[in-house]
Amino acid sequence: MVTSLLSTDDLRQACDLIDASGLTFEPPFDDLVGVYQSGRLVAVGAREGHILKMLAVAPEAQGGTLLDEVVTVLVGRGYQEGLDSFFIFTSPSQVTSFEALNFHLLVASGKTALLEYGEGLKRYLNRHRRQVAPGPNGAIVANCNPFTLGHRFLIERAARQVERLYLFVVREELSLFPFEYRYKMVREGTSDLANVTLLDTSSYAVSSVTFPTYFLKDGDPGGALQMELDLMLFANHIAPFFNITRRFIGSEPLSPTTAGYNAAMHRILPTLGIEVTELERAEADGGPISASRVRKLLSGSEPGELARLVPETTLNFLLSREGRRIWDPKGEAA
Amino acid sequence: MKISRKAQAGTMQSSDLMVFLEPAETLSISIESTVLKQFGALIRAKVEEVLTRNGVDSGEVRITDRGALDYAIEARLETALERATEE
Repeated sequence: MVTSLLSTDDLRQACDLIDASGLTFEPPFDDLVGVYQSGRLVAVGAREGHILKMLAVAPEAQGGTLLDEVVTVLVGRGYQEGLDSFFIFTSPSQVTSFEALNFHLLVASGKTALLEYGEGLKRYLNRHRRQVAPGPNGAIVANCNPFTLGHRFLIERAARQVERLYLFVVREELSLFPFEYRYKMVREGTSDLANVTLLDTSSYAVSSVTFPTYFLKDGDPGGALQMELDLMLFANHIAPFFNITRRFIGSEPLSPTTAGYNAAMHRILPTLGIEVTELERAEADGGPISASRVRKLLSGSEPGELARLVPETTLNFLLSREGRRIWDPKGEAA
Repeated sequence: MKISRKAQAGTMQSSDLMVFLEPAETLSISIESTVLKQFGALIRAKVEEVLTRNGVDSGEVRITDRGALDYAIEARLETALERATEE
C-alpha cells in the first residue's frame, strides 16, 4: 500500500532508494510517498507542484505495479489540490514505461525527455483556438515584472514587423509581482496596439516545468538542457498552432541567465524554423531599461525616476494602493 | 445528478482507468487510452451510457484508461460521480 513518507526513518530510506537508483534526493516537494514491503521501502515518488520526481523502484521489486501505484497516489492527491496536468522529466529510455501510464511525450532532447499527463497542452491550445490568426505571426515571451518602457518599445517595434504579435506573459508565480497584476499592466500598457494579442504561457514556456533555472537567477550549468527543452516545446507545439514564424527578444546586457537564454534561442530556434530577431534595448539616463532596474528603484529611495522607465499605465498601478502593497508591504516608502 | 465538485476515482494500473470529474457549463468527455485505436469508440459509448443513466448533462469528464473492461469503466465512473455529487 502506498503511504506518505513522513518520519525520519522514512526519509532516510527514501534517500537511500533514490540514490541507489541513480537519482538525487532533491527537496523541496509537496508530497512524498512510498511502498513498504516487510519493513523495507521498495518504491518511492514525490511531487513538487505539478512535477513528479524522484520516482524509483528497488530492483528486486520491479516488474510489478509499484510504479503505477505510486504515480496514482501522487496524481490523485495532486488533482484534489487543484492540479490537472502533471509532468515528468526522465531519460529517453524510460519514455515508453510512462507512455504506458498515459503520459505523453512533449519533447525529448539528448539525455532528457519531458512527458505530460492530462493533455494540458492540448487543452491550453484549444482554449486559445479563437485567437489564432493566419499569419505569419510573431511572438514575445516576457515576464514583465513589472511592465516597463523597455517592454513597450520592444513590443511596438516587433508588432510593426508581423501580421499579429502574440505576447506571452509568463504565468509562473515566482516574481515580485503576481501574474494577475503583471498581466493587467501589460494589457493596459498595450491596449492601443491593435495587432497585439496577450496570452499567458501556462506551463509551456519559461515555467518551472520547462525552465526552472530562469527563476534561480544565476543560471546553473545544467540549465542549457532545460533551455533547449523549453525552446523545442515552443517551436514544435506552440509556434505552429499560432502560425508563429518569428520570435522577438530584447538584447540582454545585464542578466547572465537571460543572456544565456537569448544565445540558446539564436542557436536552436532557427534550426526549428523560427526566425529570431534581437532588438536593442531602449535606454534611459544612459543605461538600458530593465524590470530589475525598476525593482531596484522601488526598493531604493528614488521613485521619482520611475516615470522615465515605465509607461504611465504601469506608473499609475505602482503608485496605487494595490501596487504599493506589493513592493512596499510595510508602507515604508513616502 | 449534477457534478458539483472535483472528484477522481480509479488507478493507473494496467486494466484499470482513472476518472477525473469537474463541474462545467457543458458536457465534455475526453478519453486517453493505451488502446484508444482499438477500443476508443466502445469506451466512449460506455461512458456516455453511464452518464445518461445518471442524468449527467454537464461537467468535464476525463478518462485515462489502460485497457479496463466494461464493468471496471462503469464502476470507476459511478464511484467518481458519487464523489462529485456528495454533499
